[in-house]
Amino acid sequence: MIKQDINELEERSIFVIREAKSKFKNVAALWSMGKDSTTMLAIARKAFLGKVPFPVIHIDNGIDFPETYKFREDLARKWKLDLMVVDSEVKPDLSGAACCGANKSIALKKVMEKYGFDALIVSIRRDEHGIRAKERYVSPRDRNFKWNYKNQPAEMWNDYSSSLDSKGHVRIHPLLDFNEIDIWQYIKKNKVPINPLYFSRNGLRYRSLGCTHCTTAIKSGARNVDDIIKELETTGIEERSGRDQDKEKEYVMQKLRALGYM
Amino acid sequence: MIINRVTLLGHKDHGKSTLIGSMLITTRSVSEERIAEAKSQSKKLGRKFEPGFILDSFSEERKGGLTIDTSRAQVKYRDSAFEFIDVPGHEELIKNMISGASYAKFALLIVSANKDEGIRPQTKRHIYLSRMLGIDKLIVAVNKMDTVGYSKDRFERIRKELSEFLEKIGVESRSVHFVPISAYGSENLSKKSPNMHWYKGKPLLELMREMAKKKAGDSSDGNMRVILQGSMPHEQDSLLIGSVASGTIKVGGKIKVLPINFNSKVAALFVKGVKKKTANVSENVAIKLARQVTGDSKGSVVYDAAFKGAKNTRNIGALVFIVKKIKGQVRIKFNGIELSGKVSINKLIDTTTGFEIGPRSAQQLNAAIVDIKLDRDIPAEPFTSSRELGRFVIYQGDKFSGIGIINSVGKR
Ligand SMILES: Nc1nc2c(ncn2[C@@H]2O[C@H](COP(=O)(O)OP(=O)(O)OP(=O)(O)O)[C@@H](O)[C@H]2O)c(=O)[nH]1
Ligand SMILES: [Mg+2]
Repeated sequence: MIKQDINELEERSIFVIREAKSKFKNVAALWSMGKDSTTMLAIARKAFLGKVPFPVIHIDNGIDFPETYKFREDLARKWKLDLMVVDSEVKPDLSGAACCGANKSIALKKVMEKYGFDALIVSIRRDEHGIRAKERYVSPRDRNFKWNYKNQPAEMWNDYSSSLDSKGHVRIHPLLDFNEIDIWQYIKKNKVPINPLYFSRNGLRYRSLGCTHCTTAIKSGARNVDDIIKELETTGIEERSGRDQDKEKEYVMQKLRALGYM
Repeated sequence: MIINRVTLLGHKDHGKSTLIGSMLITTRSVSEERIAEAKSQSKKLGRKFEPGFILDSFSEERKGGLTIDTSRAQVKYRDSAFEFIDVPGHEELIKNMISGASYAKFALLIVSANKDEGIRPQTKRHIYLSRMLGIDKLIVAVNKMDTVGYSKDRFERIRKELSEFLEKIGVESRSVHFVPISAYGSENLSKKSPNMHWYKGKPLLELMREMAKKKAGDSSDGNMRVILQGSMPHEQDSLLIGSVASGTIKVGGKIKVLPINFNSKVAALFVKGVKKKTANVSENVAIKLARQVTGDSKGSVVYDAAFKGAKNTRNIGALVFIVKKIKGQVRIKFNGIELSGKVSINKLIDTTTGFEIGPRSAQQLNAAIVDIKLDRDIPAEPFTSSRELGRFVIYQGDKFSGIGIINSVGKR
């Protein structure tokens, strides 16, 4: 995995987050307490001199790991986050894609409507998946959250022109350029607090975090950030291989994203 | 590592996505899992293994055998790293092509040597467009050499014809490397192919590595320009936020802000949340001025008060690449703000020949020399003085219609 210049990556993220904040009226961010969205918050704090100037939304289906809940409470207090916890259902007959995709999107739609958010910051990265590599920095979704991937707006020269469909919203992707290893480089350099589930216990760690139903741990002895960086330098395994939803039928990621799944 | 962004260029089906896919595989820059997925999907569609499927991830792209939207993939080769920007070659998808290519510093043009393919209008248009975007480093890869028996003759003929075109649009063709390859067979990518002994040059990745090492010409005159995104509250103050497009901003410096014609002094600077004495090019900055700006500052520019090159204008002369016909009133997007402008076309240029064409010729996919009268002042500058302040995007109604490079400002 290629290590990029994290200074340069950080500058672009700051630019994109600030642009979103100045261009849209009512910005919110998704926070899963995972490494990417937590890194995004760390960058937002720098962009706005110590304060995250938008609400952060946790779509909570109640079955996240206990460590995750504790991490949420601790960091929300420490960084004075405007935290919004939104309950989402878990239906017993659903698993993987349907669970995260359908249920969490329903909950998100409700909260977006209720507060009238017109821009949502989502911390996806291009190297996670071929479909995510097709995303723009700023990407419009219609009122049903649909992503019209067959006709995306032009985007160039810091002109994020996504003309906003009056009923829809835009997704803001400030971390699009980061590689997984860059996130860890950033965490190391900036001492970003991180969910302990990423570190190895009894030979296992989580590389990508979902809820307790759909995430499985990988074999790893990486007990700290340095170990993780070393591990990623040589790994040949996909980051999301521990996520059930990505492994179901073909083009699941495309279908989920088209429907507005995060 | 420093990542060199390289955009692919070339007509549809000439092998852009295949080349990137093969590069990812030969340099071991992609996981087995992704290769396996591309393999199994190729098979399902009854095709041979398509390495391009590693990039072309949408089901529609795979079924249709074309790239619909741009994507990127990174490759490490020896001491260099490249980010390939894949773009669609199809004419109708040029909006997506520009969206990808605009982020690149280099270009890699693919021309298929196959006897049914060869140099096509889109081959030349992409070169024309990349020059407009300010990409001045170019390598040409003549692809699918396996389909013409690795013929030196065929390669030389393509080289000659393309060199003539390059000269016509003002590119010194001797400075452009041409390399014969087979993207599908990974020939002449990282190692010299035994099938083309007649080729005396280096394999493609070596040529790219050399190009990456060449110092890029400085694209700015070094004067301070900070393009503002707006403002943010901080303690009792309102700070301006923006990015340094060129030069250096310093605490204590006298500045002027255009187009709002506001003069003041820099009282404090913050970079990445930390107080600093200076901020340099490509840094995002928060600025406290001695006197607070009131009103909307989005799209305004902070200059050194003494800088003479900064002035407001409503009239710009530009070279425009036309994606969709433009006429009369248009929307101009300039550094994150939008203006309205009236465009008049002085001259049309065929982007496949570089020659002027009659005023009644088709505009679409050609270029034009235009004058635009704006409804408001902006601090525009010629592209040669400032890339950021010398370019814009054009919409007609809600249709993306083209991009422009500013040649002159002020009434003529
Ligand atoms: N024989 C041969 N076939 C090739 C070679 N390179 C590409 N192809 C084939 O040409 C076809 C088109 O290749 P793509 O890579 O999809 O072309 P593209 O330039 O990306 O096309 P667009 O995305 O539509 O612009 C595919 O079926 C490839 O397998 C080559 O070197 N030799
Ligand atoms: Mg392609």
